[in-house]
Amino acid sequence: MSDHQQSPEQQPEVQERTTILTRREFTTLLIGSGVTLAMAAFLSEPVNPVVQRLLEAQSTQEAHGAGKHHWVMVIDLSKCVGCDYCVYACQATNDTTDDMRWNIRIDDETDTGEVFHITRPCLHCAHAPCVEVCPVGATYHRDDGLVVMDYDKCIGCRYCQTACPYGVRVFNWQERSDDPNPRVPNWGRPEVPRRPRGVVEKCTFCIHRIDAGLTRGQMPGVDPEATPACVNICPVHARHFGDINDPNSNVARIIASTPTLRLREDLGTDPSVYYIPPEGLA
Amino acid sequence: MTARQLTDNRRLPLFLIWILLLVAGLGIGTVSGIHVLLNGLGVTNLSNQSPWGLWIVVDLSSIALGAGAFTLSAAVYLFGLKRFEAIARAAVFVGLLGYSSAMIALAMDIGRPDRFYHPLIYWNVHSVLWEITMCVVLYSTVLVLELVPIIIESTPLKKNRFLHSLGHNLHRIMPLVAVAGMGLSLLHQSSLGATYGILTARPVWYSPSAPVLFILSAVAGGPALTLFLTLLAGLVLRKEMIPRDVVAGVAKLIGFACLAYLYLKLWSWASQNYYSRLPERELGIQLLNLNTPYGFTFWWGEVLLGAIVPAIIMLWPRLRNNRAILMLGTLLVIAGLVIYRWNMTLSGFTVPLNWSPGVREIAAINTYSPALVEWGVAIGIVSYGWLAYTLGVRFLKLYPEARALRRDAAEVPPSEQPQPQPAGTD
Repeated sequence: MSDHQQSPEQQPEVQERTTILTRREFTTLLIGSGVTLAMAAFLSEPVNPVVQRLLEAQSTQEAHGAGKHHWVMVIDLSKCVGCDYCVYACQATNDTTDDMRWNIRIDDETDTGEVFHITRPCLHCAHAPCVEVCPVGATYHRDDGLVVMDYDKCIGCRYCQTACPYGVRVFNWQERSDDPNPRVPNWGRPEVPRRPRGVVEKCTFCIHRIDAGLTRGQMPGVDPEATPACVNICPVHARHFGDINDPNSNVARIIASTPTLRLREDLGTDPSVYYIPPEGLA
Repeated sequence: MTARQLTDNRRLPLFLIWILLLVAGLGIGTVSGIHVLLNGLGVTNLSNQSPWGLWIVVDLSSIALGAGAFTLSAAVYLFGLKRFEAIARAAVFVGLLGYSSAMIALAMDIGRPDRFYHPLIYWNVHSVLWEITMCVVLYSTVLVLELVPIIIESTPLKKNRFLHSLGHNLHRIMPLVAVAGMGLSLLHQSSLGATYGILTARPVWYSPSAPVLFILSAVAGGPALTLFLTLLAGLVLRKEMIPRDVVAGVAKLIGFACLAYLYLKLWSWASQNYYSRLPERELGIQLLNLNTPYGFTFWWGEVLLGAIVPAIIMLWPRLRNNRAILMLGTLLVIAGLVIYRWNMTLSGFTVPLNWSPGVREIAAINTYSPALVEWGVAIGIVSYGWLAYTLGVRFLKLYPEARALRRDAAEVPPSEQPQPQPAGTD
């Protein structure tokens, strides 16, 4: 510890000056300049990819109109009869098991005691807690409002499951067997490969249909081939899908003309799924 | 037969039994771990409703209990408490054991252990978990840097000139390493609390005080574990591992940390449950109290036995000068910390999410209790920690100021001086 030599002849006053920089001063100086440099680097955005990433993330989150399209779903709870067709069609199309459904139906009641059915896909929030917490960016926002998964990046930490306020995310707890899917072929055919063990998955708004449809010149929400399976199959037309950025789209007109609600708006997640409330629920 | 041989003969089987016990624990852990790796996390009791469980508790606890490293290093190198150097090395070693235990637990817990390095290359700077991963990786490097001089000094490596000067130079930059260590520790220890504290959808968790509570409990619990292990080693080896005034100093530090933790804990509780009310949180706490021992373990485990009693023990000289009571006090701090991590992790998942606009409770309360295989892995991790510490005390110079107790010396005939050295520290 005591490394510096002290010559006995030196006067006390001189001795104080022998060390130009004490360790404490040096450390303080180093930390001070380090912090200053770090802040300067952080604030000068052209230099810093991190800041740029932050700004980009911010802009995609804020912009509803960032992309050309913003896909939304409208679910009419006053029409829903709770038949589970959308649940089964989703299971067949996205090849999920009964305990890993991407789209679920539950029963609830209004404060006047009227029972109603509510189905819940992923809500594709503009401020999605799952996206914010994912340590590797395996789940992210697309410009068209979709919250999607990169199964190749996911490390399976399940923080997104913990953070999602709606419980939409399911984890592949074990290797998927080659067993046939009981919903096939009555409710549709699998259109996406089964996911590997150890990653999280969730509803994609049938992203494969949307993307392929657009390249074919089809419009999601209008052409069934480009529309999510759950929307197509609904026997009472309780589900609508489309581009909220297009004022003439089906969904934009419904949202403009009908009172709708979104789930847990108090959390500020800004979901892309709008519900038309049942009778007796404002 | 000399007295020395007698004591050695009596001690050796005990040591052997202890090591065999730990190796058995390690075996249980290995078998359980392989079972999980082969068959997936489906073999655990985790579910989509309770995706985190015992292993996360092990992970959080071992990182918090490793906090003695940064606390005591900071005391030595930043706050000029040079006498704490007598325990700082052991703290660094225990810290590294804590962090490596956490990494093992995490590797078991993630669905794709083969992608453990992904956070390092795919950055999501907005994620607290990303920040934690980066800090833990960097801080483990700091711990290794702090440990290298000790290893060089304790082994024949010191005869190598290059390594010797490397160790010496590393020792010289320790203040800088300690600054880096403290910064990184403050960041990730608090972010571990933020992992829960930032989740708006879980009213039982959502709280700005969670990060600070995590760090304060770690500042109490980390040194508590190091002090407990040090006293235990002294008891077994019949040595005074660190000077008495250092024992008292560390105890006081733990005591003040307990008080700070207690202050924020009570204030945090009062502000959220007494002075204000949020219907959702109120309902959540009600559900927890009806279905789990949450309230009981909170007040008795976390507050009374985990903070109040140890604070009294650590700050009352008459109590802390009694080794048995002091050891009990450190154990209480450790237990309180683990109970806090357990309660924190499980409570948020137990209360079901309610996103439906109707008035019904849409989901039942979630129950989780660890599966046998989860306990197996946990036993393996704990055994690893104990085994590594036991071997560390035996083969590394963790306690530079350790000296034999005079009482022990009196038992040995004069011809047998110097003292028998059961720990092969030379």
